[in-house]
Amino acid sequence: MTGGSPAGLTGRPEVLNGPFTTRQLLRLDEALRLADSSTGLTFSIYVGDLEEPGRTYAEKLHGQLADPANTVLIALSPNQRVLEIVTGGEARRRLPDRAAKLAALSMAAAFGGGDLAGGLVSGLAQLADHAGKH
Amino acid sequence: MSIIETTLIFAGIPVAVILIIAGAVYAGGSRRSRRYRPGRPFDFTPVWFLSAPEQQTEAAHARELTGVRRAELTASGESSGVTDWSGDRTQPQVIGGASDRW
Repeated sequence: MTGGSPAGLTGRPEVLNGPFTTRQLLRLDEALRLADSSTGLTFSIYVGDLEEPGRTYAEKLHGQLADPANTVLIALSPNQRVLEIVTGGEARRRLPDRAAKLAALSMAAAFGGGDLAGGLVSGLAQLADHAGKH
Repeated sequence: MSIIETTLIFAGIPVAVILIIAGAVYAGGSRRSRRYRPGRPFDFTPVWFLSAPEQQTEAAHARELTGVRRAELTASGESSGVTDWSGDRTQPQVIGGASDRW
């Protein structure tokens, strides 16, 4: 999110048509950077529809990242009300499924209240906390 | 004070104030609210974020986090990241994680 958009100079960047406001985007950017730098893992957030079955699709998205083994993907679909956390093989050692489930529960609680950005920020912090320092 | 003056002061001024406030409220509320409410359709462009995308993605289109469309992101490579979790195929590298609904 640190990359500037060329559209930003001429008009409204496309990311603003997404589910987040500018302020929320800044908070998410900060949270992502903090999580990445403190753990050494790569965290990624996808917000959009997940093709059925959602789990398989989220894993497919995860596989498209450069280093899937060290990547944690948080994929959520607000319309389907589905949240998937995918951890790569290496990331899973530091972030067991139980910890991922705990973060998923708290994120889903925030999403259920309509707070997408807040849930993501606190979920990221929780995941990064659990993965520990690198 | 004549009847007209009294009416103007005690009815006209309050009515004017009410109209001004109502006008201000509707002028501000015309902006479409983009709030997500669970259960109601929420129309938005799919987004995919990484903190340092230029180092971490193979997809050239995903280089900038500009709310790239999913079709563009997924067009770059057809990798099958299917695991024992989803139960479709087994794969040497085991992917973990969690799912939830709300």
